[in-house]
Amino acid sequence: MSAAAHDRSQRTALRGRPSAPPQPAAPPQPAAPSALPRRRPGRGRDLRTAVLFLGPALAAIVLLRLIPFAGAAYSTLFERVGVGLLAEQRFAWFANYERLLSDPLFLGTLWRTIAFNLVINPVQIALAMAVSVLLVQHLPGRGLWRVFVFVPCTVPLVGSSVAWGVALRQDGPVNGVLAALGLAPQPFFTSPQQALFSIAVVASWIGIGYWMLFLIGGLNEVSQELYEAASLDGAGRWRSFWSVTVPMMKRPLLFVLVADTVANFVLFVPMQLLTNGGPNESTTMLMFDAYRRTYTYSQPNLGATAILILTLIMLAIVAVQFRLLKEED
Amino acid sequence: MSARTVRAVGALAVGALLLSGCGGSGQDGAAQGSTGDDWTIPSSDPEASITVVGHLDPVEEQLNDVVAAFEAEHPSIDVTYQQVPFDDLNSVLDSRITAKTGDPDVFWVDQPRVSALATRGYLENLTSQFGDLTDGLQASTVENSSYDGELWSLPIADSTQILYYNKTLLAQAGLTPPSTDPDQRITWQQLKEDAAAAKAAGATYGLLLGQPDRYYQLEPLPVSAGGGVGAEGEDNLTPAVDDEGWVEAMTYYGSLYADGVSPRGITSEQTDATFLQGGTAYMVQGNWLVPQLADSDVDWGAALNPVWEGGEPATPNGSWSVGMNPFSKNKEAAAVFMKWLAIDGESGYATNRSFSELPANTAGLQSYLTSEAFTSSEAGQQAADVVEYESTNTGVGRVATVGYVEFEDIMGRAFSDIANGSDPAESLESAQSQLETAWQQYR
Amino acid sequence: MAVQQTTRSTGALPESRRRSPGRWVGTALLTVLAAAIGVAFLLPAVWMLLGSLRPGSEVIGSVSPLSWRTLVPDTWTLDNYVALFADLGFGRSLVNSLLVALVSVLLGLALSVPAAYALTVLRFPGREGVFALLVVGFMVPFEAIAIPMAQLFTQWQLDNTYLGLILPGIGNGLAIFNLRQFFRGVPASLREAAIVDGAGDFRIMTRIYVPLSVTALINSALLIFLGQWSAYLWPLLLVSDQEKQVAAIAIARTFSDTEFNFGQMFGGALLISVVPAILLLLLQRHFATSVASSGEKG
Repeated sequence: MSAAAHDRSQRTALRGRPSAPPQPAAPPQPAAPSALPRRRPGRGRDLRTAVLFLGPALAAIVLLRLIPFAGAAYSTLFERVGVGLLAEQRFAWFANYERLLSDPLFLGTLWRTIAFNLVINPVQIALAMAVSVLLVQHLPGRGLWRVFVFVPCTVPLVGSSVAWGVALRQDGPVNGVLAALGLAPQPFFTSPQQALFSIAVVASWIGIGYWMLFLIGGLNEVSQELYEAASLDGAGRWRSFWSVTVPMMKRPLLFVLVADTVANFVLFVPMQLLTNGGPNESTTMLMFDAYRRTYTYSQPNLGATAILILTLIMLAIVAVQFRLLKEED
Repeated sequence: MSARTVRAVGALAVGALLLSGCGGSGQDGAAQGSTGDDWTIPSSDPEASITVVGHLDPVEEQLNDVVAAFEAEHPSIDVTYQQVPFDDLNSVLDSRITAKTGDPDVFWVDQPRVSALATRGYLENLTSQFGDLTDGLQASTVENSSYDGELWSLPIADSTQILYYNKTLLAQAGLTPPSTDPDQRITWQQLKEDAAAAKAAGATYGLLLGQPDRYYQLEPLPVSAGGGVGAEGEDNLTPAVDDEGWVEAMTYYGSLYADGVSPRGITSEQTDATFLQGGTAYMVQGNWLVPQLADSDVDWGAALNPVWEGGEPATPNGSWSVGMNPFSKNKEAAAVFMKWLAIDGESGYATNRSFSELPANTAGLQSYLTSEAFTSSEAGQQAADVVEYESTNTGVGRVATVGYVEFEDIMGRAFSDIANGSDPAESLESAQSQLETAWQQYR
Repeated sequence: MAVQQTTRSTGALPESRRRSPGRWVGTALLTVLAAAIGVAFLLPAVWMLLGSLRPGSEVIGSVSPLSWRTLVPDTWTLDNYVALFADLGFGRSLVNSLLVALVSVLLGLALSVPAAYALTVLRFPGREGVFALLVVGFMVPFEAIAIPMAQLFTQWQLDNTYLGLILPGIGNGLAIFNLRQFFRGVPASLREAAIVDGAGDFRIMTRIYVPLSVTALINSALLIFLGQWSAYLWPLLLVSDQEKQVAAIAIARTFSDTEFNFGQMFGGALLISVVPAILLLLLQRHFATSVASSGEKG
């Protein structure tokens, strides 16, 4: 429930109208549109308005995303016989899927992608949340710090990747700092164990500022009264965070979680520029594999198959996220 | 039906119409493409407009000058040059050529990909029109531009490699500089020892390879060690990267990094700048470094490429050609342009780019070697000698196979893994099996 | 205790009321932390900035060994920027990018706000199904459909046009999703009251929901803006005319197949990043005020 409504009910209470005396707020419930005394007329009107309001956006998305994607999905049922322009498309049911899923390299890529995303998404969101909470406090210069944290996601990915590639070189500045601190220099992108982690660092550096904006927006919506009520109940700062902030942040958190999941699943440019999928395939993720098949090897049918598998996985994970962060409606 | 269903059906119908429209024009386009026998190089210029796609910058790399010079000599042909970033050239060409509209008419072709492009139908066969006109071009470049006995593109450039060294750092370590005398070519093994000594005496890096994990750069190692170019059999579609020569060569390569002679993690984009900064003792890099060296503070020298101990000398070669779109509607005009670019005189391409690249045109080659960068110092003169000798005698083309794109990509990753510490024999075996899988579709 | 309070929320944590010395120390520590984090995020960009102010060849040479020289240039020069604007036509491509991005934001918001409103507030059969379609829509990686779409657009004569660049950016499912999440938090009672007063949905949307959602609007606008601003594959395939090309592609010209000018590339990358960064700096003061002002109104 937004601050506006809560505020109004509080003020009504505080001005001493003949209603219940002010009480500590119960666990907040979102305003339930269906809890109305009478049936609203105008279901038909709603439909007509919806067509008008939704129509253009839906048309744009259907025509410019969904239908082309359906075309790509359909093409996964065809095998290419021959190469290039002289190739024919032959209907082959699920041959492409069979081919990919029986390739041990592809399966390795699949598990690696899923495992990577299961780890990196919560970590990135948690970090973004921490930064957001910090930068929403009344601190001098917080607007400036916010922009600083945001700048990485405005730099073109090419520029960031090149800069980080140099920074994490064996003899680069980061190892230089580590050496100054007395630590051993790390192989970063040249080691199968550290390469993926290094890419995760780059991706997080870019993404955290982006998600921070949405989380700050959400944090600003959480009403002060709720905190006061919680502290009246005896909850400390940490406890209030978990019992007030996080539940109230479900809506923006769902958005950030889903958007971050998608962003990480379709990420491939840093891998392309920094490690080309190596060392030892450790940074070959599904999207990079699909991109390579489509654009480097010119095998669009197999590439589309890989992308379809990727999209199905994403859908499954996002569906779970919607479930988890479902609001009582 | 609910409103949503109506909407969905309507959208699908519109979409289906659009997609069918797309397929329809494809059929029309196919009728345009001819097999290469229907046209000839015209004796007088037609009036036409052609589009040309390449990766060179129109301003910085003077392609605007090239186009202007051509249009001055052939006023009835209007040329529009479009630049596409080098890394994206393939995807853009894929998209535009397969649209079958004939755009672009002429495009830059990476020589080792000629086989792959020809088989895919992206190139017009030029044998009947240009087959007899290639005498003025370097034989190796013509070979690189051909496939299966047919000429598919016209070479405009070539490349070779030079062993550069930093005289100051060598003197500091008391090392004899490598030689430009073909009888005294330094060996890879000796080079590694010398580089290690230079590093011990104070150089930051011992040996740098220009493109450290690319097949273009590393091909000479296994070839010189007796291992072959990497594929064999019919149409070069049987991978052969795990034989003894390859394993030995790659063990040597991996040891360069493991023993600290070469630094890990310096990418192809950074190697030139690193050598130019002055802390590197030796570098094997292309002829394009010479002008940059001439402008720098490095006290440099040039020598012949290393050879495998007991093996035959081998150097990388090959660069860019120009190809014609088989669906082009202006083939005659395109042919006039391509001929002017590659064959006429000292090559219109090289002449109007101030001979900044090694031309495929043999007359142009001489002008290239007498340009400022090569004549302004003793080192430049050494470099000119090396370029002339290697490009004529020891160049080995990259493997000509339909599956070249996959080969280059898979081997690139194998090289990178080996440089980063993987066991060479294992990496090569893995590459071998990946190539088997990738090339199945071509057999 | 009829204490008049503002509802302006603060730091996601209960605010201590007493102004104790401990509180000042706490604020000081947090400020240092915030500044440190900000600087840490900015540092690579600072390195790029300084790299763009030195001759292109020196950027890599100064990386190792680590010293002041790595960060601070020996030779300061504006040559890279001169080259970007004079030889590489960067000014023109920045204008192109700006035009495409801004128009996409205007059109995109015009499409997204009503769509989010409809998905949250209106009741109609299949509403959740439509929302699901939207979600699938933004999951589709653009690379999967880029080439066929580029060919289609070329057929429709939309290649080398601003319209062709703008169109794929206006149907942004994420922007709609973001607004929908925010709108779900607006109490339905506001709408009920307005309906009773005789207002139509358009009025309600523009007079009630939009003013309440300044932050969400800014965020969705930034989503659309950044999506178009950083687009690479689409302009690459669609635009071949240098005059219409966008900035993201223009910086690729600083790297050829044999020469790599890091100074120019960093300079171009920073010029590209400056625009959204300034936009955020200007817009972000609207973040906190939205809820506070709405709370004040009775």
